[in-house]
Amino acid sequence: MKRKIPLALCFIMGISMIVQFFIPHPASLEFSSVIYKWIIVLMAFALVLAIGNLIRHHGNKIHRRKEDWQYSIVTLAGMVAMATIGLAWGIDPDSLYQRIYLNVMAPLGGTMFALLAYYMASAAYRSFRARSLEATLLLLSAFIVMIGFMPFGQYLHPRFPAFAEWIMKVPNMASQRGILLGVAFGSIATALKIILGIERSWLGGKE
Amino acid sequence: MKWYDRITTIDRRIIYLLLTVLVILPFFVKVTIPQKVMPQTQRLFDFIESIPPKDKAVMISFDYSPQTQPECHPMAKAILKHCFAREIPVIGLSFDPEAPGLAVDALVSVEREIDSLAARKEDSLIYGVDYVYLGWKSGRIAAQLDMGEAISGVFPRDYFGNLIDSLPLMQIVKNYKNIAIVVILASADYPIDWIRYPQTRYGVKVGAGLTAVMAPQYYPFVQTGQVSGLMSGMKGAAEYEKLVLEHGYARTLGNAETGMNSQSMIHILIMLFIILGNLGYFFSRRAKKEK
Repeated sequence: MKRKIPLALCFIMGISMIVQFFIPHPASLEFSSVIYKWIIVLMAFALVLAIGNLIRHHGNKIHRRKEDWQYSIVTLAGMVAMATIGLAWGIDPDSLYQRIYLNVMAPLGGTMFALLAYYMASAAYRSFRARSLEATLLLLSAFIVMIGFMPFGQYLHPRFPAFAEWIMKVPNMASQRGILLGVAFGSIATALKIILGIERSWLGGKE
Repeated sequence: MKWYDRITTIDRRIIYLLLTVLVILPFFVKVTIPQKVMPQTQRLFDFIESIPPKDKAVMISFDYSPQTQPECHPMAKAILKHCFAREIPVIGLSFDPEAPGLAVDALVSVEREIDSLAARKEDSLIYGVDYVYLGWKSGRIAAQLDMGEAISGVFPRDYFGNLIDSLPLMQIVKNYKNIAIVVILASADYPIDWIRYPQTRYGVKVGAGLTAVMAPQYYPFVQTGQVSGLMSGMKGAAEYEKLVLEHGYARTLGNAETGMNSQSMIHILIMLFIILGNLGYFFSRRAKKEK
């Protein structure tokens, strides 16, 4: 029963949601609307679980004095402080919450991401070598796209932007479309296997 | 050490230093290089240009985080300026939990810029009448689909806690029937859900402003017409800024123009280093073969 009821629920809900998607009848739309609201509520619960998990993970780390446990204090203090400030003084455009977000969180996030440019420049210099025909083609197309998309690319040669655009629109698009179709067919097959009860790993535990 | 070995072993600190100098330089030395507008950016601009004033709204889904702010924030500001200048109502929302702070910043900074230039009171923007920000919601696919029936069912209150039904704009905009286009500004694969679900079911028009890394994935959708227009990375933002300026919807260019100069400098530097690395590799391989 522990496995049969979830499998039956999955089958009924899976088939119902597929069927309702193609029936624009008010009853069908009402049914889907209720289900969507349930999904939104369920997803919100996932957020509560995530917060609980974060507190437990970092609480344990601080309690056991694990390596770099001091950073866990910063994480928890930051979370509590932002939640308290937001709840107590609001989240208006001129609020303290918004000012902290724009002047602390945003520059920190930007800085972390900006570091990538340094690693990428260094890594490209050290490892981007024309070792084979494929690597040479990759290197050449990367150069053409970079030059073509630069504002002054058109001044180096008037055809650079058009050629870069062709690379994006023909070889890139062909491969992207192939990947998209592959992913779509894979998703359909997996969804059907789950709905029909062939794929049961989501239930967890043993048979 | 031979010259070709030397050019393959340049100290990374030199690379980092050059990179830093070249990123900062365009902020002090202003150079304006004319942008060639890509067709997909032009399509998005033309689509918004074709929306009659005070008719259907433009829904903007702010789904980017501070990490990709330099690319997506100028897009948001440029498109907001375009909509507000043409008196097209804007409804903002987010499905990325990190985005609301940036969305509020984009909306408020553009509002203040327009208000500071307004000659009459009627020219200034009013929250709830000209634009609304709904805030963040979990379960994005379910929320996107449910908004097809009633936006107020998914967002009973806006980001600031106002009841949706109390806002004049939301008394007109009930669902996707009153939305001309949904423009997703994202640093992740968010637009695909809008294409798969609300567009399939409700025929919602979708436009996108994506980071340069994400944009190539959406070229097939631009070709099929499922995406009505696409801004690609900082270049797309700079192009949109240029179009907005040329049509007289803004008085100055935004940050993307300067950012684009920095980015171009870095691209040239990286290309030069790749060429150096390959020259060194080629000559050292030849020297080894000769031995």
